[in-house]
Amino acid sequence: MKRKGVRKSALGVFRRSLPARAVLFTVLLSGVALVALGGFLAYSIGNGLYQTRLQQSLSESKQAVIEVQNTFSAASVTDDVALQTLMNSVVPKLESSSANQSRKVALIRSPGQTTTVILQSPISAELDPSLIPLPLRDKVALETGKLVYQSIALPGVGSPHPGLVIGSAVYLPIAGNYELYLVYDLQSDQETLDFMQRSLIIGGLFLIVAIGLVSFFVTNLLVKPVLIAATASEKLANGDFTQRLQEKGEDPTAILAKSFNQMADSLQEQINKYESVSKVQQRFVSDVSHELRTPLTTIKLAGDVIFNSRDQLTGPLNRSAEIMHEQIERFQVLLTDLLEISRYDAGAVNPEFESVDLNGIVGMAIVGLEPLASSRGSKIRVDIPSGPVECEMDPSRIERLIRNLLANAIEHGEGSPIDVAVGQNKSSVAVTVTDFGIGMTKAETERVFDRFWRADPSRKRTTGGTGLGLAISLEDAHLHSGWLQVWSEPGNGSCFRLTLPKNHGLTIRNSPLPMPPEAPLGKNPSPKVAEAKA
Amino acid sequence: MANKILIVEDDSQLSEAVGLYLQSQGFEAFYCPDGGAAFATFNDVQPDLVLLDIMLPIKSGLEVLKEIRAVSNVPIFMLTARTETEDQLLAYEYVADDYITKPYNPPVLVAKIKGRLNPMKKPEVSSDFVQIGPLTLDIVGHEVKRGDEKILLTPLEFNLLLTLAAKPKQVFTREMLLETVWGYHYKADTRLVNVHVQRLRSKIEDDPDNPKIVTTVRGIGYKAGQS
Repeated sequence: MKRKGVRKSALGVFRRSLPARAVLFTVLLSGVALVALGGFLAYSIGNGLYQTRLQQSLSESKQAVIEVQNTFSAASVTDDVALQTLMNSVVPKLESSSANQSRKVALIRSPGQTTTVILQSPISAELDPSLIPLPLRDKVALETGKLVYQSIALPGVGSPHPGLVIGSAVYLPIAGNYELYLVYDLQSDQETLDFMQRSLIIGGLFLIVAIGLVSFFVTNLLVKPVLIAATASEKLANGDFTQRLQEKGEDPTAILAKSFNQMADSLQEQINKYESVSKVQQRFVSDVSHELRTPLTTIKLAGDVIFNSRDQLTGPLNRSAEIMHEQIERFQVLLTDLLEISRYDAGAVNPEFESVDLNGIVGMAIVGLEPLASSRGSKIRVDIPSGPVECEMDPSRIERLIRNLLANAIEHGEGSPIDVAVGQNKSSVAVTVTDFGIGMTKAETERVFDRFWRADPSRKRTTGGTGLGLAISLEDAHLHSGWLQVWSEPGNGSCFRLTLPKNHGLTIRNSPLPMPPEAPLGKNPSPKVAEAKA
Repeated sequence: MANKILIVEDDSQLSEAVGLYLQSQGFEAFYCPDGGAAFATFNDVQPDLVLLDIMLPIKSGLEVLKEIRAVSNVPIFMLTARTETEDQLLAYEYVADDYITKPYNPPVLVAKIKGRLNPMKKPEVSSDFVQIGPLTLDIVGHEVKRGDEKILLTPLEFNLLLTLAAKPKQVFTREMLLETVWGYHYKADTRLVNVHVQRLRSKIEDDPDNPKIVTTVRGIGYKAGQS
């Protein structure tokens, strides 16, 4: 398992890192090239050395054979003893006359002769005559007057030494046909070759490492601008439109940087344009709302005077006073919401954070909406932890938020019960408000926090929500660095979950309360379990 | 006799509508259309309560507040645009009894007026003097002294301090203080209490950022003395 993991991570490095891939391939390919080159070099040098030595040895040997033949031919030996003496003098002479001090010599009688003279065959002390291969001897016997050679292995310290044996036939007076063998030890050449091969291998290894390093630096040099561009693009994608690249030189990197900067410029321009359009719109809404306050207040006051005296009015006048009163009320709620959202748009919201018990806030919100819920036939079922659920928040905003969620649940719950749950863990607190009413499709769920958006415009508006309630709720949640999430399914109801960090400014890692689909609807999530988990 | 309310507001129709509404609720309404004449009208009318718009021609509502406060302790409600935040309001030298934001609900306005006009339930204290930290409260004389030095408090600030000092061990929630000190028997903006407590601290504490006389009980409210 572990090895698999290592392999996987190594594979991952190669998949992710361009330099790593480049270095790997460069080293592999140059390694193959170096092995081929080294092989060729070793072979040709080895061969060259051998050929040189062979030619040298052959010419030496030729000289030696002529010398020996001349010595014997010119000598006027008449008896065996003198011949034997002469023969014995040949070996040390030949041993010492070579440039190569290690030349060994053997003068051996050719086989298959009829003469009966028995003389000792002089052989260099360290030479084992059995080392001279029989096929070579046959060849020497056959090709009289020619130098014949063969490579052999000489016994050496440790490993056998490469050797060369060169033979030729010589004619000895009285004694008849003899074979002169000169044995050369090529160990010194072998050592030269070995040394050279070792140097080649070491040099090759160094070269491969050097090539790896060079290719690493070169690829990094090339990849670095790409990486910088990638990082800048990522930041740009995350909304930092001030990201720019350095435009240096006229190479492709500079072209990349230039076009990236152009793209960033035009993006920033577009965004600024949209932002300013949106700012103008927000400003307009804000201004309109502010301008409407005084006339609305005046209308409200005058309307209330009429409404309070509606008993003195008859029939249609009385009813008109009632309708006017209700609509002014609605107008006022709408304007209050518009002013509130304008404050968020202008960034002029100053929340007052204090540590309070979320249970109490939820309780107050429920008490406020209980009459509306029971008028719709919805029962509010509460599941809250027994202990306090302390959390730093702006209590008035959070209570308003929970009231909004409850009003929404009552509105769309169609008389089904409404579940309210509170939970906490180490770092955060949460409230869920769940109804089992008509629910929403996925597309509708995505738009539920949009301003003035209504799930079904053809549906009768009953509780008279302004269409801004959930938009303001989301702003309130963000103000608290909290989450406001929704789950909904057509026909099965909706679940809204508010999660707040216990201390303002902390980030929430996970919500203490589950929400569908992890917690199927109808099964009330138990906050006690969540508490125990924390 | 009906309570007299002075409405200082430049929008004549709004001003009249407020007056009509207040009259329908049994108050007597007086009007002043600008800040320049406000103080003179105040002296003429001697109202029981003033509704004061902040944005006024000639002289701002805050200037008028300062003028009136110099001679009188009548309750003053500021009608605000709510673009001013509580912090900004705190920075002013004088603090009104309450801030009412447009668009306001007439019944709420009336309830607040009634709350401030009805004689407050005085905290029950056995003697005429109450000691809190280095301060002595003279209940009959409505005075606060640190040693021999007199500290000027508005009646609201005095009652706030007295309410806390009368029960030095009790922690008061903001809602309780709104009810006992302001006379508001319904949900009101609790930040009003924060503003007044800070204002009070700036007058009585040695170091208002590190209060010793009126202390905050985290998550609940305020109490007298250190915990």
